[in-house]
Amino acid sequence: MPKLTIDGHEVEVAAGTNLIEAARAAGVAIPYFCYHPYLKVVGQCRICMVEIAGQPRLALGCATPAADGMVVKVEDSERAREAREAVMEFLLANHPLDCPVCDQAGECLLQDHSMSEQGAKFTTHMAETRRTFPGYERRLIGPHVMQNQNRCIHCSRCIRFTREISETAALTYKSRGNSTFIDTFDGSSFDDPMSGCATDVCPVGALTLRETRFRKRAWKLRSTPSVCPGCSIGCNIFIDHHERVVYRFTPRENPAINATWLCDYGRFLAESLNEQAYLAPQRQDHGHPAPAAWGEALAAVAALLRGAASLRVVASANMSNEELFLARELFGRHLKGEIAVPVAAGEPRRMKNGKGEWLLAKDAHPNAAGARRLGLDTVDGEGLSRFLYGGAGLTLILDPEAHPFLASPEALRLLRVGTTVVWARRSHPVADGATWLLPTPSLASDEGTFTSSTGAVQRFAEAFAAPGTVHRTATGGMSPDCPTIALPWGAPGEARPLWLVLSALARELGIETLDLASPAEVFTLMARSEKGFAGLSWEALGGLAPQESFRERQHVG
Amino acid sequence: MEPVLLRARGAADSRAITTYLGAGGYEGWKKALAMGPDAVTKEVSDSELRGRGGAGFPTGRKWSFVPKDHPGPRYLVCNADESEPGTFKDREIIEYDPHQVIEGVAIASFAIKANTAYIYIRGEFVRWAKILEEAIVEARQRGFLGKNVLGSGFDLDIWVHRGAGAYICGEETALLESIEGKRGFPRLKPPFPALVGLFGKPTVINNVETLACVPHIITRGAAWFAGIGRPKNTGPKLFGVSGHVNRPGVYELPLGVTFREIIEEHAGGVRGGRKLKAFFPGGSSAPVLTAAEVDVKADFDACAEAKTMLGSGGIIVFDDTVDMVEVADNVAHFYAHESCGQCTPCREGSDWCMDILDRLMAGHGLPADPDTLLRICRFASGGMTICPLGDAFSLPISSIVTKFRDEFERRIAAATPLPPRKLPVLPWAGPKAGFGI
Ligand SMILES: Cc1cc2nc3c(=O)[nH]c(=O)nc-3n(C[C@H](O)[C@H](O)[C@H](O)COP(=O)(O)O)c2cc1C
Ligand code: SF4
Ligand code: SF4
Ligand code: FES
Repeated sequence: MPKLTIDGHEVEVAAGTNLIEAARAAGVAIPYFCYHPYLKVVGQCRICMVEIAGQPRLALGCATPAADGMVVKVEDSERAREAREAVMEFLLANHPLDCPVCDQAGECLLQDHSMSEQGAKFTTHMAETRRTFPGYERRLIGPHVMQNQNRCIHCSRCIRFTREISETAALTYKSRGNSTFIDTFDGSSFDDPMSGCATDVCPVGALTLRETRFRKRAWKLRSTPSVCPGCSIGCNIFIDHHERVVYRFTPRENPAINATWLCDYGRFLAESLNEQAYLAPQRQDHGHPAPAAWGEALAAVAALLRGAASLRVVASANMSNEELFLARELFGRHLKGEIAVPVAAGEPRRMKNGKGEWLLAKDAHPNAAGARRLGLDTVDGEGLSRFLYGGAGLTLILDPEAHPFLASPEALRLLRVGTTVVWARRSHPVADGATWLLPTPSLASDEGTFTSSTGAVQRFAEAFAAPGTVHRTATGGMSPDCPTIALPWGAPGEARPLWLVLSALARELGIETLDLASPAEVFTLMARSEKGFAGLSWEALGGLAPQESFRERQHVG
Repeated sequence: MEPVLLRARGAADSRAITTYLGAGGYEGWKKALAMGPDAVTKEVSDSELRGRGGAGFPTGRKWSFVPKDHPGPRYLVCNADESEPGTFKDREIIEYDPHQVIEGVAIASFAIKANTAYIYIRGEFVRWAKILEEAIVEARQRGFLGKNVLGSGFDLDIWVHRGAGAYICGEETALLESIEGKRGFPRLKPPFPALVGLFGKPTVINNVETLACVPHIITRGAAWFAGIGRPKNTGPKLFGVSGHVNRPGVYELPLGVTFREIIEEHAGGVRGGRKLKAFFPGGSSAPVLTAAEVDVKADFDACAEAKTMLGSGGIIVFDDTVDMVEVADNVAHFYAHESCGQCTPCREGSDWCMDILDRLMAGHGLPADPDTLLRICRFASGGMTICPLGDAFSLPISSIVTKFRDEFERRIAAATPLPPRKLPVLPWAGPKAGFGI
């Protein structure tokens, strides 16, 4: 373990750590643009110059491993500071400096560095006409990625990403010298399944996401740590939101699962979190749905549960461990109902972890592993149809999106027998015919844990409170095929997370042990009684600082 | 001095292997095989041979960096990219005596125990690539190359690899990338090629002229070679003289002759009876020397003392009619065009220098220009870049600005203001379909 001094701070780091990371540990910031902790070090941007005592030449912070006894000067070295300023001047000589109209502003490494190190007192000796790339300033290079080559600082992070991580080698440099630009290798569409990551790694606004650009200024967004609901791999994400609208998912670092990556499929689920078709509980009134208050709804559903001759429950692998546990205890153990958890085999998805290994997804849900761990019956489509075929007095569907089979005419026919209570967020045929419909909010307004296919129990936090989750969505007017654009400040609705409704039902039914005040309490109970969760504690799960700022996140983006 | 490397120049059939064998060719190869790798490396070290590719690194020392017990393949690469402006010496060797190069490659490969060698030749050298290939076939037919060379148990294959027209591929690690089939981007060092080189294996890269010296060192001995020139700057050297001289061409002279001797005696002096103004001593990437510095000795250490470098030994001579601002502009154009674009100071700085110099040439100089040029050059050299191309444009330009600043000032004093820039008015046809604005 080499011990070194950086700007007067002593620090001990693991062997092989480079000076940028060592300095970070010592609380000193060495600026960087081309360095990325999960990509090969290339030493191209030259902004990370530091002085090492006893060495005549300046050294690169990214390419120099920490060595025992090294004395490194970052801010304390006039020579290194001068060199970094010169590199900044080179980089900005041809940069358009169009921050006011650039969507990266606020989360741009170039801008951050210019503000922090140079105190925004930037001067240039440049009197020439700037280099531009006519025709490449606003170019869609793939289904999701918009290029503005004028802003590119030639750090090659995007290229290295497609070579080393997504392995499509789609992006490359073309031309030479000052005319060098980024393009797809053969000029075809950049349809990499992880293409969004190229915009994450791009330190400037040269690559931005067509879906999210110009929708919200980066500094307005709040980031809530969460877990991607797209498949069983369980990539760690931030839900970036503002005024109760979800704008995007961005990767949250987790070396064991997704390093700093996300696949496009998962990334673009963000927009779907804004859909909220049902705003209040609903009952059937002579064949027409009529709104009802929660009190009335809970009492009515509790009465149905008490009076049901037989009970069956379709749970879902989209539910958190806490919700699955509550459902199992309440409907299974106390009310002696039958529970099935449908699991749909999704499209195969894969994700590369920090060690460069691919993780493969088998299920299309974030928590199939959690359901199995809780000993619940997981069924496929056929199993689900058999389960529904059995008939029952009362059927609860905790999530109509648990399986595509639930939307089929056959399922609707099977559900016509008896009474059904459905918890739903998005409009669904099963929900429309339900005796009672209870609105649930999206992942952004829920809290709990998912168990990933690798077995990791991971917490997700609530981005905004359930009472305010509701907003209508409208088709964006920006381009014909732009996804929906949510209108903020829709009338607050009354969707409540499932765990809350289940514990309220328990209270209604007089089952005090399950009348719990928070997912944390549910988790604690579960950890106490379940082998699969034994020894885990809510607080210790996955470093979830509630609101991490952008700047903190930038060190991997 | 009797010619060594150019001894065959002008002889009939000089390229044929029979001619070469008649002059004692491939004796060095036979001797080397009998000596063993370590003795060969020692002999080359003792000769104090220094690389002729530009940096003047001691060749024997470079070979000794290859790990002795490295498992698996290792490679020797002969750098025949010869793209430095004013440099045309390697071509001369290949033209008249290609077997010298083949023999040098063979001995060097043996010294580092490489069974595969590549000759990387610049793409425009079509004719010389063919000459080398024919020579390789001849050598192979006589058993000097291939499996079990001359019964020694040593195998050696030599491949000629043609470049695709990039100056930067003369830089040794860009060259390796190019052989690997990749874009010619210099690699970040360390690791150095002696440890991690071609295809990730230990590799030695030497210039054509360097390798052509090797057979002579082996046959005639290190002491003979070290006796030419002066200590630490030994052996014969090819000087390619171009520009305003009466007899441009390649001259083989011992290291340590003065530039005055080369220009005035061998190249016949400045053309048309004019006066010498300045010259590049070793290709256009070496800082310029003025007429007052013509008595500097043409060797590595003397050039370093004069704050320039011997480089490739390509001497470009300027007479007193030459506008040094134009020279700087020409240099800037070349390097801006050849910068690979990887690292910031060189990519941005080379182009920036070019733009300033173009503007000066167009008569719109600004008072700050000389200092801006010096600042750009200062921060694009001296370890600020991945490869020495940053230095290659910075040092000559800053030397010209420093030594001929009066010419810049004269131009600036006579300058007219830059005409106001006309911005093109682009027609706006509304947002295009498929563009999220
Ligand atoms: C930009 C650049 C271009 C170069 N071009 C050549 C070249 O054309 N031929 C050459 O022999 N060396 C060239 N070199 C030097 C090589 O990198 C390397 O130092 C040399 O081939 C080593 O051979 P030597 O030890 O025999 O001198 C170049 C270096 C740089 C930085
Ligand atoms: S597009 Fe972005 S990531 Fe790619 S090289 Fe340019 S600045 Fe770097
Ligand atoms: S110094 Fe110039 S040529 Fe060399 S690696 Fe950097 S950009 Fe490329
Ligand atoms: S971060 Fe070190 S050179 Fe770019």
